[in-house]
Amino acid sequence: MRLQSKLTLFSAASKVIIFLVILLLLPTLVNKVALLNADNRLLQKEERMYQIIEDQGIESFITGETGNAYGSYNLFREEFISLEEISSGKVVNSIENSLRKVDNAVVEYRVLSSTFDLGGKRYLLEIGRSLDTIGDNSKMLQTYALYFLLGVVLITIFVDQAYNKLLLRPLTLIVKRLQRVEHPSAFTPKELNTNTTDFLYLNNTINAMMGQIQEAFQKEKEFIGNVSHELLTPISILQNRLENLLSDPETPETLLEKLVDNLRTLHRLKNIIQALLLISRIENEQYLKNEAVNIPQLAREVAEEIEERAEAREVSLHLDLTGDFTLANANQSLLFTLLFNVVNNAIKYNKPQGSITIKGEPTATGYELSIIDTGVGIAEDQLPHIFSRFKRFHAPDGESHGLGLPIVNTIATFHGIDVSVTSVKDQGTTFKFQFPVQG
Amino acid sequence: MHILIVEDETSLATELMHFLAQEHYQCDWASNGREASEKIAVNRYDFILLDLGLPDSDGLDLLQEIKAVDNDPAIIILTARGALEDRIKGLGLGADDYLAKPFSLLELEARMQAVLRRKFKLTSSSVAFHGFEMDSSARRVTFGPQEISLTKKEFDLLHYLLLHKNRILTRLQLTEHIWGNILEDDYDSNYIDVHIKNVRKKLSTHASTDWLETVRGVGYRLTI
Repeated sequence: MRLQSKLTLFSAASKVIIFLVILLLLPTLVNKVALLNADNRLLQKEERMYQIIEDQGIESFITGETGNAYGSYNLFREEFISLEEISSGKVVNSIENSLRKVDNAVVEYRVLSSTFDLGGKRYLLEIGRSLDTIGDNSKMLQTYALYFLLGVVLITIFVDQAYNKLLLRPLTLIVKRLQRVEHPSAFTPKELNTNTTDFLYLNNTINAMMGQIQEAFQKEKEFIGNVSHELLTPISILQNRLENLLSDPETPETLLEKLVDNLRTLHRLKNIIQALLLISRIENEQYLKNEAVNIPQLAREVAEEIEERAEAREVSLHLDLTGDFTLANANQSLLFTLLFNVVNNAIKYNKPQGSITIKGEPTATGYELSIIDTGVGIAEDQLPHIFSRFKRFHAPDGESHGLGLPIVNTIATFHGIDVSVTSVKDQGTTFKFQFPVQG
Repeated sequence: MHILIVEDETSLATELMHFLAQEHYQCDWASNGREASEKIAVNRYDFILLDLGLPDSDGLDLLQEIKAVDNDPAIIILTARGALEDRIKGLGLGADDYLAKPFSLLELEARMQAVLRRKFKLTSSSVAFHGFEMDSSARRVTFGPQEISLTKKEFDLLHYLLLHKNRILTRLQLTEHIWGNILEDDYDSNYIDVHIKNVRKKLSTHASTDWLETVRGVGYRLTI
């Protein structure tokens, strides 16, 4: 997931969690506030009541007609006031909920109860407010608070997203710039237009690192050039000297075989250097992939070229190619080398009267080419290492330099071809190449 | 035929000159770019064997200089720099052929002859030997009126032996010639033996093939 999406998601999630927590706590909080508010109101009312009693005297409430109690409910039953004379021993001073019966209906009230003494008598004053009214107020308060919170959450999410996008734009730019680089040599360092020091630091670090990589690649290229000159020129001298000796009529016949032996060793040395140089050049992208190569046709060409070798070894070569497939960005001669090496190995390590099948068929993802032989096979413990250029396997003739399959692997990787090998000792080996459809 | 070898390695130049002198070529040697420029200005060469890695100049610059002279000699580039772009550039600048080091002297001579044939448009290339006749441009071998059907590789093998008649050719030299520079894990001389056996079988139905000798432990020789 992208950093920007992660940041936005985190900010949204944290806000939603806060919102949910508030949603959970809000009724309790609002109720508490509403109750506190109601209590304050009751206390104010109590204050006023005492004022009235002081101004007008208790007689204006408790008269001969009313007996020793007074009660009043307003029209909406929101509040009531009751005043009654009680026995002098009881002292009450509280605010609590209590149920009262009004017009045959039981209503829950918040009731302030307070006792006071006047004219040698003790009175109980009760002021009550309907809890329904308090609840209504608190509900309204909750609804408004919810809308407000939701609005705040949504607005901050959008603002956060926009800000994150703006903040992370330099990073997106760096990533895009790196994505466009197919090979380190194609990279050109650029300044970044931002005042975020972290991104400036990142950009400078990448520029410096790519510079180092380019330098290393350049050095390696020069090294390969130098090595090839330094090694191949003396080999050339030796080879020419031996050939001159070989063609000299004065060279005694007994020496000829020794010369040929030396030429063979020299040839091996030449092959190893050339194989290493080839691998190195491919890995350094010194080969072009600018040809469209028809794979079944290439397989036919390889088969035709190698047919005589198979015949010489009494190995039968079969072609089973169906469908058609063209690899658009490829190097014909490298792919030829790849197939030639594999089929040549299949001939060399086959059994007398054995067979090789080159099977090709289109698949959902491209084209699959299999080279199936009935040869000596590869031991199970060696199979994972056959493409490694650092693990040496000595062929039965002791002549192989062990770089044939690493070359195959390097060429396959260069073209994005997937290679898999299965082998059963003494029964045969199958090399499978999956040629991809290039987008 | 007058040849200029431009090569900074003394030993290599010596071996080249030794070989070419044996083949009756007249050889000059320049060990650096400056010397080569002087020689090109003074002499008329039919052939220039040019090493690209020179101590004082780039062989490709020298190549342009050679192309500017009047007599337009044939050029074969000899280099250890086997990079594709060098090859393309060299041929693009007018070199006639390209040989990567290390190369076989026989291969060099075969290439030189091919370049000369192309250059002088020589198409009549029939050679008669022991009653047989080989036409290298039509790629045909005949015995009297009868044509002998040889595979591509059999023909190449016989042609190469004929080209270097009376000389021992090793299996390795023959392999390198007929298979080109396919990079193999190792080479198998057995293939050459099978090809030679087939050639002998096809030719011996018409006449004796004693002239195609096997040199034990070394290779083959076609004697005329």
